[in-house]
Amino acid sequence: MPFLRNITSGLRSLFRKEQVDRELDEELRAYQEMAAEEKMKQGMSPKDALRAVRLERGSLEITKEVVRSGGWESFVETCWQDLRYAQRRLRMAPTFTIATVLTLGLGIGATTSIFTLVHAVLLKSLPVANPGELYRLGKESRCCYQGGYSQEKEFSLVSYDLYKYLRDTTKGFSELAAFPSLEMVFGLRRAGTSEAAQGYPGEFVSGNYFSMFGIRTYAGRALTDADDHSNAPPVVVMSYRLWQQKYGSDPSVIGSVFDIDGKPFTVVGITPPGFFGDSLRSSPPDLFLSLNTEPYVESDADLNKVDTHWLELIGRIQPGANPASIEAEMRVELKQWLRSHWSDMSANDRARFPEQTLYLTPGGAGITTMREQYEHWLLILMMVSGFVLLIVCANVANLMLVRGMERRRQTSLSIALGAQTSRILRQPLTESILLSLFGGAAGVAIAFACTRLILRFAFPTFAGFASVPISASPSMPVMLFALVVSLLTGVAFGVGPAWMATRVDPIEALHGSSRSTAREGSLPRKTLVVVQAALSLVLLSAAALLTAALQRLENNDLGFAQDRRIVASMDPRLAGYRSDQLPTLYRRIHDSIASIPGVSSVALCQYSPVGYGWGAGVWVDGHPAPGPTDDNSAAWDRVSAGYLDVIGTPVVRGRGITEEDAPSSRKVAVINEAFAREFFQNEDPIGKHFGTEADNSRKYEVVGIAKDARYLIVDKPDGAFFFLAEAQADYSQTNLGSLFLHDIVIRTRPGASLSDAQVRQAMASVDPSLPIISIRTLKDKVATQLTQQQLIARLTSLFGVLSLVLASIGLYGITAYNVGRRAGEIGVRMALGASRGQVVRLVLRGAFLLIAIGLTLGIPLSLATSRALSSQLYGLNPYNPVILLLAVIVLAVFGLVATLVPALRASSISPARALRTE
Amino acid sequence: MPDKSSDVVQGTLDMLVLKTLALEPMHGYGISVRIEQMSKGVFRLNAGSLFLAIQRLQRDGLIDGEWKATENNRRARYYVLTKKGRQRLNSEAREWGRQAAAIARILEAS
Repeated sequence: MPFLRNITSGLRSLFRKEQVDRELDEELRAYQEMAAEEKMKQGMSPKDALRAVRLERGSLEITKEVVRSGGWESFVETCWQDLRYAQRRLRMAPTFTIATVLTLGLGIGATTSIFTLVHAVLLKSLPVANPGELYRLGKESRCCYQGGYSQEKEFSLVSYDLYKYLRDTTKGFSELAAFPSLEMVFGLRRAGTSEAAQGYPGEFVSGNYFSMFGIRTYAGRALTDADDHSNAPPVVVMSYRLWQQKYGSDPSVIGSVFDIDGKPFTVVGITPPGFFGDSLRSSPPDLFLSLNTEPYVESDADLNKVDTHWLELIGRIQPGANPASIEAEMRVELKQWLRSHWSDMSANDRARFPEQTLYLTPGGAGITTMREQYEHWLLILMMVSGFVLLIVCANVANLMLVRGMERRRQTSLSIALGAQTSRILRQPLTESILLSLFGGAAGVAIAFACTRLILRFAFPTFAGFASVPISASPSMPVMLFALVVSLLTGVAFGVGPAWMATRVDPIEALHGSSRSTAREGSLPRKTLVVVQAALSLVLLSAAALLTAALQRLENNDLGFAQDRRIVASMDPRLAGYRSDQLPTLYRRIHDSIASIPGVSSVALCQYSPVGYGWGAGVWVDGHPAPGPTDDNSAAWDRVSAGYLDVIGTPVVRGRGITEEDAPSSRKVAVINEAFAREFFQNEDPIGKHFGTEADNSRKYEVVGIAKDARYLIVDKPDGAFFFLAEAQADYSQTNLGSLFLHDIVIRTRPGASLSDAQVRQAMASVDPSLPIISIRTLKDKVATQLTQQQLIARLTSLFGVLSLVLASIGLYGITAYNVGRRAGEIGVRMALGASRGQVVRLVLRGAFLLIAIGLTLGIPLSLATSRALSSQLYGLNPYNPVILLLAVIVLAVFGLVATLVPALRASSISPARALRTE
Repeated sequence: MPDKSSDVVQGTLDMLVLKTLALEPMHGYGISVRIEQMSKGVFRLNAGSLFLAIQRLQRDGLIDGEWKATENNRRARYYVLTKKGRQRLNSEAREWGRQAAAIARILEAS
């Protein structure tokens, strides 16, 4: 084992240095004395003999040095020396050290905190056993229902029937599990208690869900295939979070009966603490029910609809199985299944049969909806923080260069005394890496704080719900990332100065003259300032653009009032209501909430802004029927009387939905201005009729026109939109989805405050089992639509300001340093009659030239960045000259201030003193 | 002693040290004297190169060192060839012979 022997021998010389040295010394002395004895035998005197030996065979000390530096351990030893030396030097310059470490910490911290998110959202696997063995159906995530026997591009959602067929015939999977793609909320209440049911996210899962993920419960047992039968007793697995937070880890929860949407379920187990289901989402599920309880819970069940595709599939492949061949197998099975339903297929489905296919993709990260949603802006933030890090590097490199200059005399002395170039190069490099490692440590701390903040902003949580399962505390990969970034920055800002240090002419430096007019050796530093100015401009203009886009969004007139409006969300379907019970329920909810003190008016609707809406086709009475390519679609909302008043959307003509619109009176509709423009062009819509089916175009009479608003998305006004009266709905249609209203909009009196508890109490007095999903102000609801935009704008602004400050410091540093070096020259100039103004101009001219070059380079870079950002600007012109000009001016002003200070100081030098410092 | 001595051919010092030790265990000075004698004074070793080679060979496990008394009752570190060192010497000597013969043939060709 020569390798091992080499190591042990090296370690011995490292750690038992004295003994090894002593032995070498003794051996060499013996050698020398034997050689000398030989000489003395030939008649030399002892003194001459020793001298001759030294001449012939080399001196003892040099030999020792040669032998010592022969092994690998000498490298370690010099590194250690360098490290100790660097540490001593840094301790001697505490201001420099602290400033540098902080600057580095900010840069590394910014990058690391964004990386924490990138890692959690884009790179990480689910916390389950061997995620590499998991494969899922579908290339892109798709929500939530697909009907019929054909799907566009790929078959990515399946019905329960198709799932069973795939599960039972595919051989390559050890387990194939299914669960709905829709995020669901269930009303939960401990059976036998009087508390109101509360909404928690939950999921129907196939019986093999937990065994497929290889998840063992924290307590109790997991769901099994035996639980997933139509006549199995209904059981539920609860999340560790809910069990701990809501029930205080009470062991009696396991085995207890809970009402879920009004139906009794027995809790059989608790999931392990880290498990958050099959996908990363902002509110991970708290309840896991077996798929076969879906018809038991839902009045309008999807389980037994053969052509309703609503399930996602994730499977664990057999060890050694080839996913490509499983995919091929499943494609054949899909075709077989479709063919077995040939008689149920529509002509369209049959025509599209040949192109029906499916894809199997790695499923270790679960369903990656969030990944697709956040990918773009995370990459933008990664880029922005990378820019900040570059600026930090440039800044620190600048400081290091100045330090290198100060060390020139010492370096030349070392070179003159015969120091090796590699050693001279290693010295400053060691110092930079040491600094960057300290900076990295500071950065990890900053990143931790920063990530927590970002998480709070990026993923708003509902009270009582779990928060997004992303931890701010640095994980192993994040620490590794920070370490690599630190080392890279250390090398990046250290290698230039180190290389410069070796290019010292010993003679010149030893002359000891520091007189200088030309700024020789300052080219690299100037380049760094130019780079900083250019990068700062890019960041500033990007920040300004994003902020402007955000402000435009925020200041948009949404067409409804946001102040004093509260939205409570519910789902009567979850509490097991039938459609014929709904009118009474709505009436009682309305009256119960309206009687809370401080409430001025209440209305119910299917969906309050901003977000969802239902679509329908429109056939106008007396108009030709729309052709196959005509778009006759409109969005609509079913609302109770007075809704437009409550939400604050003005009615521009006619009237809104009122109490007079009773089940027995004529069916009415209120349309928006866009509807009027699109379907009635030059006619007066009031009194006209339209319908939502081709054969019933006289169904609704238009009684009013509401002002255009943004009910669906905040960044552009809705298209055609109409409102129908809740009281006139046909409640004889069982389980028609649109009959179930979700949102209660509450308008409070000015100055009145309404607590969540009051609303919950009012709801519980109507029906304690009716789950409240959330209670939020309308303002919050709108704001969550802007969360991403706000976060990007704020972070980019923060990074922009940071870069501005850093660039200014950099400019200040180089100007101050140059002024210091030119003190003599300035003194001479002033002695010869230059005025203070001339001196200031002289200094400013040099500095401003650098800024000007930086800005010239920065403008095209900024334009390129704006282009890359254009998808995030919501229609704002990315090439906005005002914003660019603003960024240029801000940078120039900061530059001016940063250079003016040293310039003024230079002009106040007394010529006599300046000349004396020579 | 000839008035001109030269450095050992690059890369052959290790082999020469191994060869010297193949005859009998020897201390550092002994090795250098032996090499000088055997080369009839052509090669003269610098102490630095010699002890560096000794350190290298030792770390490669080709020789072992041991403190012993010399015939003059002086303490010195004696080196012995290990089994591996003997194998290495054989293979290197063979290779050297092959190369030297080849070079000689090329130079003699006219």
